[in-house]
Amino acid sequence: MRRLTNVNPASLVESVERLTADGTRAAVVGGGTDLLGMIKDDLVPTEVLVNLKGLTERGSLDLVETEPVGIRIGGLVTLAQLSTHPLVTAQYRGLAEAAGSAATPQIRNVGTVAGNICQRPWCWYFRQNFPCYKHGGNRCFSRVGENEFNAIFGGGPSYIVHPSDTAPALITLGANFRIVGPSGERVISASDFFTLPRTDVSRENILEPNEVLANIYVPSTPGLRSTYAKVLDREAWTHAVTSVALALEMDGNVVSRASIVLGGVAPIPWPLKAVEELLAGQRITESLAAEAGRLAVDGAQPLSKNGYKVTLTENLVRNTLQSLANEV
Amino acid sequence: MNPVSRRAFLKSSVAVTAATTFPRTRLSAAGQEPDGVPPAAPQTTISLRVNSERHTLEVEDRWTLVELLRDHLQLTGTKVGCDRGECGACTVHLDGMPVYSCSQLAVWADGREVTTVEGLADGVHLDPLQQAFIDGDGPQCGFCTSGQLMSAKAVVMTNPNPTEDEVRQGMAGNICRCSNYNRYVAAVMSRPPQQASRLDPLATVGVSHPRIDARERVTGLAQYTGDVAVPDMLYARVIRSPHPHARITRIDTTHALEMPGVHVVLTRQQCDVTWSSGDSHNPRYLFNNPVRFVGDPVAAVAAIDRHTAEAALKVIDVDYEPLDFVLDHEEALLSGIVEVQPGGNLSPRRDGERLPEIYQRGDLDVGFAASDVIVEETYVSKHHNNAQMEPRSAVAQWTGDQLTLWSPTQGISNTRRDMARDLDIPPERVRVICQYMGGGFGNKNQNQDSDLIAAVLAREAGRPVKLELTRKEDFLGVHGRWPTTQHYKIGASRDGTLQALQLRGYSGMGPHRKSSGGIAGIELFRCPNVRREVSPVYTNMTVAANFRGPAYPQGVWGIESVMDQLAHELAIDPLDFHLHNLTREYNDETPYTSWSLRECITEGADRFDWANRWRQPNGRTDRVARGVGMAIGMFAARLGRSSAVLRLEQNHLWLHIGVTDIGTATKTAMAQIAAEAMDMNLTDVTVVWGDTDQCPYSVGESGSRTTTHTGHAIIQAAEDLKRQIAALNGALGDRPLIAQATPEPTIEGMARYASAAHFVEIEVDTELGGIAVMQYLAMHESGRIINPLTAESQIKGGVTMGIGMALHEELVYDRATGVPVNPGYYGAKVMTHLDAPEIEVHFIEPIDTFGPYSAKNVGEPPVIPVVAAIGNAVFNATGRRIKELPMTRTRVVEALA
Repeated sequence: MRRLTNVNPASLVESVERLTADGTRAAVVGGGTDLLGMIKDDLVPTEVLVNLKGLTERGSLDLVETEPVGIRIGGLVTLAQLSTHPLVTAQYRGLAEAAGSAATPQIRNVGTVAGNICQRPWCWYFRQNFPCYKHGGNRCFSRVGENEFNAIFGGGPSYIVHPSDTAPALITLGANFRIVGPSGERVISASDFFTLPRTDVSRENILEPNEVLANIYVPSTPGLRSTYAKVLDREAWTHAVTSVALALEMDGNVVSRASIVLGGVAPIPWPLKAVEELLAGQRITESLAAEAGRLAVDGAQPLSKNGYKVTLTENLVRNTLQSLANEV
Repeated sequence: MNPVSRRAFLKSSVAVTAATTFPRTRLSAAGQEPDGVPPAAPQTTISLRVNSERHTLEVEDRWTLVELLRDHLQLTGTKVGCDRGECGACTVHLDGMPVYSCSQLAVWADGREVTTVEGLADGVHLDPLQQAFIDGDGPQCGFCTSGQLMSAKAVVMTNPNPTEDEVRQGMAGNICRCSNYNRYVAAVMSRPPQQASRLDPLATVGVSHPRIDARERVTGLAQYTGDVAVPDMLYARVIRSPHPHARITRIDTTHALEMPGVHVVLTRQQCDVTWSSGDSHNPRYLFNNPVRFVGDPVAAVAAIDRHTAEAALKVIDVDYEPLDFVLDHEEALLSGIVEVQPGGNLSPRRDGERLPEIYQRGDLDVGFAASDVIVEETYVSKHHNNAQMEPRSAVAQWTGDQLTLWSPTQGISNTRRDMARDLDIPPERVRVICQYMGGGFGNKNQNQDSDLIAAVLAREAGRPVKLELTRKEDFLGVHGRWPTTQHYKIGASRDGTLQALQLRGYSGMGPHRKSSGGIAGIELFRCPNVRREVSPVYTNMTVAANFRGPAYPQGVWGIESVMDQLAHELAIDPLDFHLHNLTREYNDETPYTSWSLRECITEGADRFDWANRWRQPNGRTDRVARGVGMAIGMFAARLGRSSAVLRLEQNHLWLHIGVTDIGTATKTAMAQIAAEAMDMNLTDVTVVWGDTDQCPYSVGESGSRTTTHTGHAIIQAAEDLKRQIAALNGALGDRPLIAQATPEPTIEGMARYASAAHFVEIEVDTELGGIAVMQYLAMHESGRIINPLTAESQIKGGVTMGIGMALHEELVYDRATGVPVNPGYYGAKVMTHLDAPEIEVHFIEPIDTFGPYSAKNVGEPPVIPVVAAIGNAVFNATGRRIKELPMTRTRVVEALA
């Protein structure tokens, strides 16, 4: 491995200072599993590791706490903690399911929720260091290549899919992200956090290299039920072929508000606004669920080898909707 | 030495080296070692507890936790299988929670508590899980076992009474390529194994016994090649071609040689050593020009540590002139396509003719004329990696002109022979040691290029060299199963009798012919008119060669799918169709020594309740479609030469055999045979193995041959030893006795085969494209089973491996660039705990007079029928047949469209 310098800053402010000073040489470390793999494979230029696990003043960074209206999740909370924390499992089952479905126990034990949200692509071409857009090149190899797992929505010029499981769930729950940077902090809606390649092909979100995703606020909503369903190509340690995060605010058996976001099918967690509008004020019947499934894949633009994702996504949305709505 | 003179020295060395060839030159003259030490990397002082012991250490910030444990604390029980957090072999506990120690930096463990496999036992008292792993036969090759134990331990620490699903979920991040998932889970659940021989067991043979070396495998004490450290050892790394086909126009090693700590850089210019077992037809150098596949070695470096070696690779400039390339084996035979090897892309036959391998009998025209139904179909199988847990590695040490090589080989005798031949030294100057090795499944049968590269670097450097391949290199540089395209045309008369059987097949061998490239399976059927034409083809994919049951799993998938289709078109139950068309003679010509295929089918069908479960497929489109399938397989149980030496001293027997035990429990089986033959207890037998200086010739653990070959030798030596004892008329006393034997039994005019019939029920999720195995029954005949416990483990593992081949494993190539895009456990989707169903295993045990105690073979047969059985079940469930592997969601959705 290349020479690395590990830095254990005292505080978030000091972390940001260090990230600012070292520019692209520096990267923030939460769990570190994926970052180390990318360093070993020369996918990123990192030489300085700003290790948040080493913070002496962690504050709320590794806690899940109640807020006046909802919960606050520290960015350093691990996926294992998130998937089993009583505050999460009680009110936000979809988030717990998403966190618990990622990777393997070993990775969930160290991998953080912030790291999961900010995960780099797992596109084969990116990971094999092809000179693609994501590596500063001028083409997307998956567009006409081995694109079985690539985007069917929102692609172009890059056709990566966003690999995060927790991000779609957080968006459906109306989460906000607290971001700490050199000029202080800002709070942004989870649904505004992610960036399509047509906006900026070099990144997946709006986070600047010297910013840290510090906290996640999830509001509490009475009558909310949520779930996360995921289709894999083997049963452990791979990313979603397609996934759906779904949150329904129910008034009796009528949906007062629906929130639905797809994972694994677009360069960002892919919101289904039209489906949400379709469902609002409705009782979920078999035919409405089928209609929702069809609407979910309306406008899909499959590549040469991923047309099956359209079929899978339509069916997954329909089935997930029906089973969540029918829960007592 | 000041930097200027050092640089000058090295430059002149390079100039000299470039003009000559190995082995005459050395890059460094005696007494002028380039012993510069690289400038220190950033370091940090940390304090941590490892297995309850406090350490305060200066660590480089870049050291991973596993690197600290293995390289600096000598805790080598924790293994590195992928170094990317994808396999779990490196699992340790950090503050009581399992983590991948390859994916954590040592500096991040500051102030924390680390527990490794070495910390599980309390002195000599094993952890209950370790004992359960021994009793329940958890470890096969054992390379993943430490990680499995740590994950299992975490499960029971948080939940003393877990459900089976909780155990599997908790161990989901630990891959076992021997695929002993059933055993691991059962051991954690404290569910004891049940298998027993159905023959009356002899005193020791036929009795289930835990592996005699199981304790070493569950405590981290078993020494694998990567665990070997010798004084002054250098570390090596290899540059590999990023192009599928290119001419190297320039290699500049100047900057690498100038790096402090770099001792040797070798390229084709300095090294013309050939790797003869790497290609039986063409010269294959250690470093080739042109390079012919992505992963072809271009240069190698030996340096003072692994980081320096790696850094040196990055400053070696290589200019490539890309050449046209071809990946597809049928396309490679078209005119106007680039020649991968001089003379054309059809690999020549043994006689040198550039013709397909042809077998035929009868007259196809006659057969098709007599057929009422003819099925013509094409099946396409893919490159499938062996993916053994232990990446290739080697430690080479020269003492004068004597080479000691530690290598994870399947055959120490073969490797010694090959190393001597390739290095042009007498075999007695080569000592090959393999104490434990982490699987191979056919890709470590002979010497490996990693062995040769380490040996050549060590000779150049005048110091020992360790070379450990990365997981990606192992996927690209080590061979996998050859991809095939199989065109069948098969005819039968209305009563279901086969009349004509034609196969035209193509096998993609990559640019080198290491193995046959055969497509096997049609010889299992009775048919008067047969023609099989198989073309092994050179391509620019990675090299393909032996992988468990080499020519069968893909061939049997093809032929058994077509047979199933033919039965369907004739409206005959496939079980009846099989029974009607089986042949009692190999290729319908050569009688078997014993033949139990029919019994495997009928007993398996009874146990599975086939008669009540099989229905004609109705093409229904239920959300979940259930179906059943069956397929058969056979594999040669050859007889042949091996040696054994028995040494009796003070009522204890030492058994010297040149085996390595690749996870097959060979040592245990051989000890059982020796104990049986000598009327001794198993505990009175010590096996001496894995060292060519201490052991006689053994055939090697390939081709499922060791039990018969080496077992015969043991029995024959035992007979001699017993004669010597008898001749002493009870006056043995303390007199040491030695007996040895090297039999070479043959079976003139007969064939000897193990057989199997598999039955499976699957569910196809027609909406999400998933295929789930619901029940799997493997009925096997492998002669008498020497050790039912470990034999069943092998069958379970082989079947599970076959499920991976059927459902998701494949090395995928980018067609535009010729570069593989998914080399590794993550991308290639190797089976995990959550993918592995329970495999039910039964043995039929006939008396076959030719094997040691009637034993045949176990290792390769179980993988053979699997893909076919699953494919046939998919057809039964859906009425659609998937004719290209693997049967992923894409292909299921396409098939159902």
